[in-house]
Amino acid sequence: MESRLLRVNLTTGEMKGETIPHSIFERWIGGSGVNNWIMWEHFLTHDINCDPRGPDNIFVFGVGPLAGTGAGSGIKGRITFKSPCYNMFGDSAGGGKFPYYARFSGYEYIAITGKAPKPVYLLICNGEVALIDAAHLWGKGTEDTHAILQEELGDYPSKVHTLSISQAGENQVGIAGVVSDALRIHARGGGGAVLGSKNLKAIAVQGNGGLPVARPGEMLAWSDDFRKKIDGNEAIYGFKRRGTLGAVEMYQHIGSHFWRNNQGNKFRGDEIRSDNWVKKFQKYSEVCSSDCFIACDSKYVIDGTESEPSKKYIGETFRRPEYLTTGSAAGALDVRDWSEVAHWGKITNDYAIDNQDLSCSISFLMELKQRDLISNHDVAELFGHEQSLRWGNMDDIEACVESIVFQKNLFGVMFRDGPYFGALKYSEMKGKNFMKYAMYGKGGASFTEEVRPYPTWMNNMAVASRGADHLKGIGLIEKFQREDLSKMYFNGRTEAADLTIPDLKGACTALAENQVALLNSYGVCLFHWMLDPAEFTPQDYYGKAYAAVTGIERTPEELMRDGERICNLEKAFNSRVGMRREHDMVCERWMWEPNSEGLYEGAVGADMFNTVLDEYYEWRGWEKESGLQTRARLEELGMEDVADVLAKDGALALT
Amino acid sequence: MIKVHTQFLSHFKELAATDEDVFELDRPLVSELATRICDRYGPRMQAVLIDPDTQELNARGTMFVDAKGRRICMADPLEDGDVITFMMGIAGG
Ligand code: SF4
Repeated sequence: MESRLLRVNLTTGEMKGETIPHSIFERWIGGSGVNNWIMWEHFLTHDINCDPRGPDNIFVFGVGPLAGTGAGSGIKGRITFKSPCYNMFGDSAGGGKFPYYARFSGYEYIAITGKAPKPVYLLICNGEVALIDAAHLWGKGTEDTHAILQEELGDYPSKVHTLSISQAGENQVGIAGVVSDALRIHARGGGGAVLGSKNLKAIAVQGNGGLPVARPGEMLAWSDDFRKKIDGNEAIYGFKRRGTLGAVEMYQHIGSHFWRNNQGNKFRGDEIRSDNWVKKFQKYSEVCSSDCFIACDSKYVIDGTESEPSKKYIGETFRRPEYLTTGSAAGALDVRDWSEVAHWGKITNDYAIDNQDLSCSISFLMELKQRDLISNHDVAELFGHEQSLRWGNMDDIEACVESIVFQKNLFGVMFRDGPYFGALKYSEMKGKNFMKYAMYGKGGASFTEEVRPYPTWMNNMAVASRGADHLKGIGLIEKFQREDLSKMYFNGRTEAADLTIPDLKGACTALAENQVALLNSYGVCLFHWMLDPAEFTPQDYYGKAYAAVTGIERTPEELMRDGERICNLEKAFNSRVGMRREHDMVCERWMWEPNSEGLYEGAVGADMFNTVLDEYYEWRGWEKESGLQTRARLEELGMEDVADVLAKDGALALT
Repeated sequence: MIKVHTQFLSHFKELAATDEDVFELDRPLVSELATRICDRYGPRMQAVLIDPDTQELNARGTMFVDAKGRRICMADPLEDGDVITFMMGIAGG
């Protein structure tokens, strides 16, 4: 197994291809694991405490070995960088066709450093590379940028596929993401601001090269088995129909939405509580990438007959909103019309901005207004004019979005790095403590779901390497009360599936983080695993596909250690920038305010928080008091070199 | 004889062509309810409700809970007036 890495220094214009040797894959699997290692090595020779918006930061794109091989497991590319909004480890996944066309164009990994003297885009075409003036793209959203690049670069040797930023990235808004093919956003952590700070508007790839597969026959057999299992699963068919929107009715029933900045957890409004949106709006289904046996994605076209507000959006077409697009609009902001929710999804994608950070920033301010903690005068001070800040009002919401994207006013500037830092700055400015209304974990914006009844999810929010996060340590065992999985992973014990006790909840975070790290390193979508985690185990079932593609043989136990090693490198990065146990925390509302409604009404996060966190550190082999890694565990994982770096920086546990 | 109310959400609503129903059961057990649901709604419902390998309620991508939000299994007893909700078990997005 070898891969090609393109290194681009935008300051000097130097571009160099390298081969990533087999030994790197033996240690880091691929995809996010290799990205992490490229960034780790970069910060051995550059100041890790650098300004993430400065030229010393690095932006790495990478795609794992299963992507584009016909595995049918979906394809996700990964971007990795030091986060400009949270000032720690940052990464984000995204689908679309860009990731595997990057492979076809000759490079699976791209590492960008420095800063171009003027806006440029990077073109990679069957191994040839060029930096091209992007003056005509600067100031454009991702949809226009993608369309212009497709037009000007033509269809040979393949269609053009892009990764691009919007005006938000150009303005170095910390919560700006990067969009693949104008459709699929790498939202989290501020990768768009990193590219904006480097004057890199887009990466365009074209290619028709092949991919190496070590044992093609074995791979085909695996893929065939995978397809049969997916096609034979009626629940997965249900997921094909609705995608993550299938969660809307379930969350409404159990009380798991994030209503009005999580003051409640059920949607209001008759229409929005149901997922019949699918029947009303969805025009056709499609896959987000060409290599997925599920195909949960779809498109809508609004014709104006759907509802009164929909008349504003006649002809608008985009991807069906996913659950968190819905959770952020219908939940956090109390938008009650589906066409408006869909429109929110479209504009946040075109502006390439994280809708979790964005909605939690806006809902923070709306709640202050609702509670009369700020006056009309205070609002006018933030926006430069009157702004009503009514819940669910799309005009108000769009004004807030544009304030941040275009850095138009004090609100936009103050909340450019999301709700946590925005609320801190605003509290300081007003001489009042408004932090009670800021929703976050470890500095990252809350994801817009209720977490208080779920100790593992709560812990995930506190410890995720990129700040509050539902995609690093997904708590499937607990949320879905899967006794079978609890028994499978914890020697017959069932406690992990019991929401009412803290036992094995920290262990579940560690387990799921390791498994997710593996899937992210293979370069696949998480949904196939999430829909049948007992069958599609990352360390066993997927491990066979990994072996067929790469020729790297691993036992399931070894693969779990590989996943753990990847998580430990992300942790080490954060320890080097000064993060300790006190940073592994969640916001006041989640910690102290009882869950206000739903089946699990009354749950208070603090009841189990510290017990679960202690257990998490125990399972990780990290020191409980400081939250730091120990040399002993790092050596067990073959990470002596990492332990040495941490020791030198005073970021290794003393025990 | 007991009466048990069922709620069908999302994909289950499509399979049952209704969002709620009532079942009269001779034996007050989840297994009896599952059998009756399969009889009434047919093989596609059965495919998502019952795990063919274990004959337990299917846990894959689904969530079946009582009124307190506890996941139910085949051996669980039921009482007159119980409400059981059948949902897709999905997270994230
Ligand atoms: S399951 Fe859905 S999100 Fe995942 S790769 Fe397939 S179409 Fe894309």
